[in-house]
Amino acid sequence: MKQVAPFGSHWSKPRTLMAVSAAVLSLALFAAAEGKQEKQPATAQPAAQMGGTNSSKTITKVQPKRLSGAELYSMHCNRCHPERYPTERTAAQWRTILLHMRVRANLPGEQARTILKYLQDNSGR
Amino acid sequence: MKAPLFVPGSVALSCAFALMLPGGTAAVVDDQQFNELKELVTKLSQKVEKQDQRIEQLEKTHAQDQKTILDLGRKLGENSLGAPDAQERAALSGTVEPMPRMPLDEATVNHNFSILGDAEFQYVKTSGDHGSFLFADFAPIFLYRGGDKVLFEAGFDFALQNNAPGNPGATTTIDLSFAQLDYVVNDYLTVAVGDLLLPLGTYSLRTAGWLNKVPSDPLARDLLPGAGVGAMLQGAVPLGQGGLLLNYSLWGINGPGSADSSGTAAALDLGGNVGLRSDNEVANLHGKPSGGARVGTFIPFKPHYDLEIGVSGQSGQWDDAGLHLWSAGVVDASLHLGSSIEVKGEFIESAYGSGDFGQVRAQGWWTQAGYKLAGLNLDWPVINNLELVDRYDSIHDGLGTRTRGDTVGFIYYLSNTLLFEGDYGFRHSTDPTQKDQLMLQVSYGF
Repeated sequence: MKQVAPFGSHWSKPRTLMAVSAAVLSLALFAAAEGKQEKQPATAQPAAQMGGTNSSKTITKVQPKRLSGAELYSMHCNRCHPERYPTERTAAQWRTILLHMRVRANLPGEQARTILKYLQDNSGR
Repeated sequence: MKAPLFVPGSVALSCAFALMLPGGTAAVVDDQQFNELKELVTKLSQKVEKQDQRIEQLEKTHAQDQKTILDLGRKLGENSLGAPDAQERAALSGTVEPMPRMPLDEATVNHNFSILGDAEFQYVKTSGDHGSFLFADFAPIFLYRGGDKVLFEAGFDFALQNNAPGNPGATTTIDLSFAQLDYVVNDYLTVAVGDLLLPLGTYSLRTAGWLNKVPSDPLARDLLPGAGVGAMLQGAVPLGQGGLLLNYSLWGINGPGSADSSGTAAALDLGGNVGLRSDNEVANLHGKPSGGARVGTFIPFKPHYDLEIGVSGQSGQWDDAGLHLWSAGVVDASLHLGSSIEVKGEFIESAYGSGDFGQVRAQGWWTQAGYKLAGLNLDWPVINNLELVDRYDSIHDGLGTRTRGDTVGFIYYLSNTLLFEGDYGFRHSTDPTQKDQLMLQVSYGF
């Protein structure tokens, strides 16, 4: 019995994979570009304020801002699920849950502690 | 006579003495000084008059305020069901101070034990079969924390299954999804032992019903084990302060086994080798354990904008005779563009030797996109809670069966953890048992 090609001639696996990969890469580049655009005013502002000819000398390298607990929380929780409200759990419950999520999401200790502090500060009683 | 002469003499002497006194002892004020004093007195009088007016105005204002306070207190007392007497009304009408936030005393509160998890209720209609309500899954995760470094976690799946045909009633099945003891060595290393969820890709770590945007598993996940019994080292290293992470996992587990010890391709059992044989002997089903690893990076651009990429693999003996290797490799990626757009997927390739088909190469991939309509910024209540999802997946089992599927669906967020999902999966396969399927699901994460 002749084996029928299941996906027809239009089914080209490598081509589809390449298309998907290109789409994901394009989206990533788009996101990266958008992120940089939003950061730009912060670095350009000192030069603009000087308004003089030697303003370039006054530009200092802006260190990346240390992420807050709220930022880290929204960043990592959103990787897998909608964010839970900090008030949904008590401070003591968050301590246990954060240890679980630290292992599950493979978070470094310092970030986990920063997130835990944010959750406990804003927790239910 | 001397006496009469003494009186006029004294008078004359007094007059002379009086005339000799200095004129400064009398209050002599000239016109200029007088005018200045007059002006000063006038100004002070005006000032006092203004102060009197101001005091009078303040007294009026104060009286009005008192009246307003009394009115408000009366209204508050009338509205308060539990304040029958004037004293309580007065207390209620006073300023209400917020209750002070009491610090939790960890010694008196035991929250070391917690339960998380999810539950799903499904209606499934497979093409050519009867539709059915299905309590598919209740999946609690039990957590017990011992201090800040030790955590025991175990996940179960409770499900019902008809005994018919053949037997009446139904059977409740309980599966242990995972059970692991985690020890945090330091900020960058955690050791886990037990029945471990394997980071072959990221899907097995994120399979809970309310996490999946599509209720069914991707077809290609059939090529991989979800868990394995063994030990794992894992951790993450932050690169800079911007949230960029490099994470890793390294594990050794019993690995896949042969269901009937035959070593034929059909007997490949990806997750069944747990170290306790059916004859109750404690032994691996084959000679050597499997080893695996994953290296990934998490690249955040800003909150809700991030890219996660990982490469993972596992290899080891799988048949009882130890003649054949099973190996798999996975590339996974997940992209978030704001809180509305998520795109993720995995590419999976596996190969294993067998006693009947020789070397078998299987391959599959899936990609899934979700878009929350809240991103349209429309002020429509139903629209803002809706997410549209599409998943495209493909599998070739290496034994001649190819299947691809396209699943379109929606999620309606009743809350952030209560979801109503609907999906229709189109199947195109050389396997006639693969059919189109409609699935409606209510899922809840707790």
